[in-house]
Amino acid sequence: MFNHLKAEDFINLMEGCELPARYRSHIDSCARCRATWESVQAMHAEVSSTDTDIPEPDWNCFRLSVRDELLSRSIQRDSAVRRWTGWAIRPAAAWALSVFLVAGITIVTVLWQTDQPPVLGPSDQVSENVSDPPGEVIEAGPEKSLFDEVVSLGEEQQEQFRQILLSRGKTNRR
Amino acid sequence: MMERSLTASLPMTLSNQDVDADLVDRYLAGDMSAFDELMIRYERQIYRVCYRFVENREDAMDLAQEVFIKAFEHLAAFRRESSLKTWLYRIAMNHCINHVKKRSQEFVEVTESTGSVPASVHSQLEEREQREYFRTLIKQLPPKQKAILELRINEHLSYEEIAKISGRSVSTIKASVFFALEKLRKLVKNPDLRKVRN
Repeated sequence: MFNHLKAEDFINLMEGCELPARYRSHIDSCARCRATWESVQAMHAEVSSTDTDIPEPDWNCFRLSVRDELLSRSIQRDSAVRRWTGWAIRPAAAWALSVFLVAGITIVTVLWQTDQPPVLGPSDQVSENVSDPPGEVIEAGPEKSLFDEVVSLGEEQQEQFRQILLSRGKTNRR
Repeated sequence: MMERSLTASLPMTLSNQDVDADLVDRYLAGDMSAFDELMIRYERQIYRVCYRFVENREDAMDLAQEVFIKAFEHLAAFRRESSLKTWLYRIAMNHCINHVKKRSQEFVEVTESTGSVPASVHSQLEEREQREYFRTLIKQLPPKQKAILELRINEHLSYEEIAKISGRSVSTIKASVFFALEKLRKLVKNPDLRKVRN
């Protein structure tokens, strides 16, 4: 048994496409398909009749407006890109400049300080004049020899110390 | 006259696609005379498609202008898998469908926010109905179905071309035309349907 025509078949029929004979015979015999085909044809004709005159614009003006709009948009895009890159570069440039300034100031300060001769304070001058360092300084030294201690003693004390050493030497020899 | 003089310089043996490819290359190389030639070749066709969606000269011009700007801005990305004509029609169709959808959404937003249709909109609809009864029925078709129907019946594009433009099969396009005509028949027979849709 032959089925009813499909949507595509109706369009092919309407467009005058070559269809198998059984399609034609089916339309003749099937009231439903015939009614559908007739209505589709009628609607097609109606739609075709609605094709009114379309008012045409001034094509030169139209072309000019398209060209102008294209140009203005490309300019806007370029300036937007430039603006964007400008804003991206500005903070980076500010950072670089500030880092450069800080580094420069630090280096100059350090160099200036190393080039200057050391400034002596009043306490340093006093210690230079004194031939014998104070006892506290000798005691605080890392290694103290017997000689150092002897040097730091007064003449009487040195004599006493020498006597002690000599007496010890004698007892040791015995 | 200008159209003839501009296209006359092209060799007659070249196919439309070759001519388009040559013009595209020239435009991309900075030759602005290629811009004019491309516009002359397609401005009328694209404008007509746009007009069918808005049925207003100024709006159609605005839409067509947007279509061409979009096309020229993306011409470098045109992969030439389809013809330039198909590509331009596709841009136009999508742009117009989006425009119609956006406008219908705006209309819904107005009715929802105020709770009633403004008198001016009512009168506009009535004027349109009076002016062109059948065109109003066609307008009630879904945008894609309407576009396919118009491209076939009024712009006389082949089913193959429409299939390429819309990215569907020829069978689907034929079925779409059939169902659009069927929907129109139902709208004509049942005016209540039309009132509900309005």
